Amino acid sequence: MGSLTHVTINFETSHLIFPTLIGCILALLGLAIAIRDRRQLAASGAHWRKILGEMDKMRFFGTLALTVLYFSAMVPVGDIWPNTGMGFLLCSIPLVALSGLLFMRERSARSVVPLLIVAVAAPTLVWWLFTDLFFLTLP
Amino acid sequence: MDILAFLSPLFVLLIIGGTLVGIIFGAIPGMTATMAVAVCLPVTYSLGLENGLALLLGLYVGGISGGLVPAILLGIPGTPSSITTTLDGYPMARAGHGEKALKIGICASLVGGLVSLMILYFFAPTLADFAIRFSYVEKFLIILFALSVMAALSSDLLLGIFSGFLGIFISLIGTYDVTKGGNGEWRLIPPGTEYWLEQGFSLLPVLIGLFGLAAILDEAETGMKPGLGGKGVDVGQHERFSLSIFRGQWVNLIRSSCIGTFVGILPGVGGSAASILSYSNAKTFSKNPQNFGKGEPAGVMASEAGNNGLTGGALVPLLSLGIPGDSTTALLIGAFTLQGIQVGPLFIGNNPVTWDAMIVAMLIANVAMFGLMYFAIRYFAMVVTIPKHILFPVILMMCVIGAYTINYGIMFDVWTLLIFGVFGWLMTKIRLEVAPFIIGFILGPSAEVYFVKTLESFGDLTIFFTKSWIAVFLWVLIALSVGGSAYLQTKKKG
Repeated sequence: MGSLTHVTINFETSHLIFPTLIGCILALLGLAIAIRDRRQLAASGAHWRKILGEMDKMRFFGTLALTVLYFSAMVPVGDIWPNTGMGFLLCSIPLVALSGLLFMRERSARSVVPLLIVAVAAPTLVWWLFTDLFFLTLP
Repeated sequence: MDILAFLSPLFVLLIIGGTLVGIIFGAIPGMTATMAVAVCLPVTYSLGLENGLALLLGLYVGGISGGLVPAILLGIPGTPSSITTTLDGYPMARAGHGEKALKIGICASLVGGLVSLMILYFFAPTLADFAIRFSYVEKFLIILFALSVMAALSSDLLLGIFSGFLGIFISLIGTYDVTKGGNGEWRLIPPGTEYWLEQGFSLLPVLIGLFGLAAILDEAETGMKPGLGGKGVDVGQHERFSLSIFRGQWVNLIRSSCIGTFVGILPGVGGSAASILSYSNAKTFSKNPQNFGKGEPAGVMASEAGNNGLTGGALVPLLSLGIPGDSTTALLIGAFTLQGIQVGPLFIGNNPVTWDAMIVAMLIANVAMFGLMYFAIRYFAMVVTIPKHILFPVILMMCVIGAYTINYGIMFDVWTLLIFGVFGWLMTKIRLEVAPFIIGFILGPSAEVYFVKTLESFGDLTIFFTKSWIAVFLWVLIALSVGGSAYLQTKKKG
């Protein structure tokens, strides 16, 4: 019994012990879940079709697309005016405006005007706060 | 307590400001105290530790308390912790007693917050003193216990355990930290990503992604339905509010506050459990249980005292063991890490000023919450009308700031935010649990060090069972939490 529980740790490979152990536990748990939920897993196609069917695709994928675009544009735009945080400011204004329009359910002048004011004011205020007051780096 | 060391006008202003913003976040359905802390965390980067914590604790107390506004006025819990407040608060509002119900909830929240603060003040140092004697074996088992409790409270035990271990696995990506006794070698890094993942995923972008972006995606998926659902906000007629309504309810208030605090001490259980337990106890011990659910003030008192009791309770395991009591306190770990301070059994003894500052901040936050909400409740009621199409884009922008500035300008942290935002949304679809995942992610690297170093020292796995009576006791607790949960879930299905 003593030899079964005895463990010798080689310092050179000690970085692999815990990840391997956790990986094995995850695999066992995954297997147990797969066996228990095999019927649900077999019907997972229907599950995802239901989620996609009920999803507001325009708003969901639109949010994802705008977010990716926003993240991708920030650094190149910021590089034009280095160390000023302008990349953040100039990309955040259209992000807030466009995602606000995307999220808006009834687009009327009465609801668009406040959104546009917020789209300009909020990023500008945040940009000023973080760059001028807190001296933090923004893209 | 050398209060003058940290008590400045800025300190008090930050608490009041944090509480105000927290109440606004809590009052808007779909936004939580956790989101408030995540979004405002970057503001603390340039503040000192005490001032930063003042802001965050204000947000925490305000965020938990603000949830009662839509719960009472609209019948929609602003945060999960105010779920049972709707049961009696909303019928009271519909009967024209909205303001009275709100004020009952505010007073009960204050009692809950203060009772839990007292328990935190006296209990956390005692627990920390006890935990100082823990070796790596007991520390490892405490992490295992925290994970098992969270998994046990998940809707599915197996998926809860899987989520916890998945969190640990992802936290191990990167270098085996030399400063913690590791060998400095890389592991689990996909080829081609070594440059970004050498230090693994940063904690805060992961948390902001899981709690900020995932919530936005969730709302986008359901079409950003307006919080009011077409209903107007009616606070009811102005009524003279008298504290006599609490006559005969002090036992209920104190019991609910203690239940909330106890639930908070259990890692990751959350405010909804605190309010549900408090509410069901109040109903059980009430002379008029048949009135519950029909506008009974005692129900609002129990629910609100219970969920605010959570605030002090959740800080107990964080400050004495280094284990977050809920998702919001998990974010506080990020604030401590930013300032180079490690929470755990030595925290209170080594950082007496910070400890005192936290206690004073919690006290002021509770009083500020009471003052702000009690006297301006009619204005806070209007907060629920702020449209989501204005709030969520601004929150998305704040999430980016939080992620980008955490490591002083690394764009990969912003992409981490996106990765974990999408992952957090996906988790809900495949029924994985966020709370055990987070605890696993936060505590994974520590668990590794405790486990490997124990084996390096003792060379035998039996040491985890034989080291001390505390180790045996912890194994019993782990077995009870997992076994009990498995039994209850099987019984429920059968």
